[in-house]
Amino acid sequence: MKTFKGYRRPNGTIGVRNHVIVINTVGELAGLTKKLAQLVPGVIPVAHQAGKAQYPEDLEQTVRTLKGTAGHPNVSAALFLGMGQGDRAEEIASELAAEGHYVHAITFKDKKAISDVLKEGKLWLEKALERCRSQQTETADVTELIIGLECGGSDAWSGITANPSIGACSDLIVRDGGTSILAETTEAIGAEHILAKRAVNSKVSEQFLKIVKDYEERIKDTGEDIRSANPTPGNMAGGLTTLEEKSLGCIKKGGNSPLMEVLSYAEKPTEKGFVFMDTPGYDVESVAGLAAGGAQIVLFSTGKGSPTGSPIVPVIKIGTNPKLYEIMSEHIDVNAGKIIEGISTIDEVGQEIYDTIMQTANGSFTAAEKHKNQEFAIWRLAETI
Amino acid sequence: MGLSFEGYVREDGSAGTRNHVGVVCSVVCSSVVAKDITEKVPGTVPFVHGNGCAQLGDDFKLTKNMLVGIASNPNLHSALIVGLGCETNQVSGLLESIPETKPVQGIGIQQMAGGTNTIDKGVGIVEQWAREAASEKRERVPVSSLTVGILTVDLDEASLQSAAPVIGGAVDILIENGATVMMGYSQTLEPAGKLLSERSDNASVKEKLLTASETLKRKRWKNINNPTSLGSGFSEEEKAFAELEAKMTGTSPIKSLLGYSQTPSEAGLHLITVPGNIVEALSNMASSGCNIAMVVSGRGVLTGSLALPCMTVVPENPNDPFEELVDYKVSAKEVQSQAEDLVASLIEICSGKQTNLEKMELGEFSIPHVGTTF
Repeated sequence: MKTFKGYRRPNGTIGVRNHVIVINTVGELAGLTKKLAQLVPGVIPVAHQAGKAQYPEDLEQTVRTLKGTAGHPNVSAALFLGMGQGDRAEEIASELAAEGHYVHAITFKDKKAISDVLKEGKLWLEKALERCRSQQTETADVTELIIGLECGGSDAWSGITANPSIGACSDLIVRDGGTSILAETTEAIGAEHILAKRAVNSKVSEQFLKIVKDYEERIKDTGEDIRSANPTPGNMAGGLTTLEEKSLGCIKKGGNSPLMEVLSYAEKPTEKGFVFMDTPGYDVESVAGLAAGGAQIVLFSTGKGSPTGSPIVPVIKIGTNPKLYEIMSEHIDVNAGKIIEGISTIDEVGQEIYDTIMQTANGSFTAAEKHKNQEFAIWRLAETI
Repeated sequence: MGLSFEGYVREDGSAGTRNHVGVVCSVVCSSVVAKDITEKVPGTVPFVHGNGCAQLGDDFKLTKNMLVGIASNPNLHSALIVGLGCETNQVSGLLESIPETKPVQGIGIQQMAGGTNTIDKGVGIVEQWAREAASEKRERVPVSSLTVGILTVDLDEASLQSAAPVIGGAVDILIENGATVMMGYSQTLEPAGKLLSERSDNASVKEKLLTASETLKRKRWKNINNPTSLGSGFSEEEKAFAELEAKMTGTSPIKSLLGYSQTPSEAGLHLITVPGNIVEALSNMASSGCNIAMVVSGRGVLTGSLALPCMTVVPENPNDPFEELVDYKVSAKEVQSQAEDLVASLIEICSGKQTNLEKMELGEFSIPHVGTTF
């Protein structure tokens, strides 16, 4: 059994990182959130523009994502910044604290001045950082790992090299008792029948077909052709001709294991094995959903080269072709282009990705972490009110 | 001669109240690289956001138009567009749409073979521009070169009673001097549509205002083409409140009701659609050409815009305001002389005096969504 050294949390989950984060609950506080993080080196800001002037479905999704982010196993401590009126900072923090998470909310109620909030926040974060540095790791095994599967900036090689290798790795993780989450509903369109057949029962199969159908209908409702956004101009330059072709390559990341469960955006899996999460094909929003759903590490294949990461989760980049690895190695962790050159097989690269996951879980940094790529965005459903 | 301020004159005849070198990302995937560039060069400002890919129809057009608008804003001396390469919102498309009235260039991470090269290249470009911008001098320009955005945030009735006539007086003075004023047409002002419609000669503006005054409508996930109503129409209380807020527009005719990122075609008073998200509202005003904004609030707002100086105006008896943010406090003095004072303070800021938000370096940029991402 493959093991790693991780950080055990009070709710029983295990983290592969030990981050201290500061996170705002309304967009007005995004600037102060970043300012506060700058005052305490080592603290990661998770700033965004959601949380206000949104429809209920968006607000609910925002809160779920923020809670999943702050209560993530990779997070040692989280500080919420809120207005104290018209936002849910204190409520979210107390719910997370009740689950055993080390969280706190600071708001502007009781006539607090900006300088007071910054001072109070700085003190709390310094203490949290000290506490985090004294935390010890313990041995855990792959059955406790949840791995997110993502692709971005795909090219014609994605479905031939990197994605099938990720699929091989996903099957190994599932074989060893772990969990993998395939995402990006847009990129299941045209290939949904293949995944539906792998569903563990008819309920899961119907659920899966329903989210894909809903997505297609929503696209039709805009009166637009999905092809104007997907495949993207870069996908086409990379040799992809249709969304169906992109989808058939995209789902290869899911390997051949049975589909156990279908999750909403930012929802935590209840089953082990291979599951699917309803996320958009928009990488940063999709990765934020996977992370909020509890994935400790995300695998991300890229053909054109995408540098994006996550504030809380290590993102492992798998390059699809040798040229990309040659010119953009600073953003690539595993070169699946070796398959084209006849140097490695899909199974060998799958094993290499698995080894990279374990090294990353043990603390080695990914390319996105080295470059401080900490992009964060929450999937938006409706217009800002 | 009428009122004037010290501004940066642009090639197209407009004038900036600031002289920023903007670094604009086309998509969230290039936001970190764009920000890294600005951190290496003083005088440069990052315009980063979470949009730019997997968007369709109106939602995509809005993202593109907002970025074109920001790059074109008179407060920007120049703009570097930083893209990834494979995104929906292509750098080439942005460059085609941005008018060639200032230095504008585009670079992409995939084209430059990685973030490090892109940062090096970008730093080289903006260092040169930042030197040029620093050597430029302010010149005296008429107030007709100003486009002033007005945004209201969290005002109660007493605050409005105190502040609205003064703001309205200031708006009239600005418009008499040839300025353009854009009043934020938010959900608190929408119920006053009927009253405002009487101030427009334009039939389609009248109709839009009348329709908007019935009930609050926005686009939703499942009814993307048919904006749905929130609630069952505006109450009498909301209408009375909105009519009080409408006093802030002064007495000039209303020339147009601008949608997101639309620019006015003539000087005078306009209404501009703004969302309830403050950062998005101010960013929208900036992309529509405002070179300064007045934020009227009972408390003061904890964020400004990266493109515009945002002047914080609070009423006479504000509700626990953030004192360190207040640039102008309405008093019990006679309305007309206060309106003149307010315009004088605004002009000082336009001429270079920092707002309190600027001193605290609190400013953001963000683009509203009008639909879901795919």
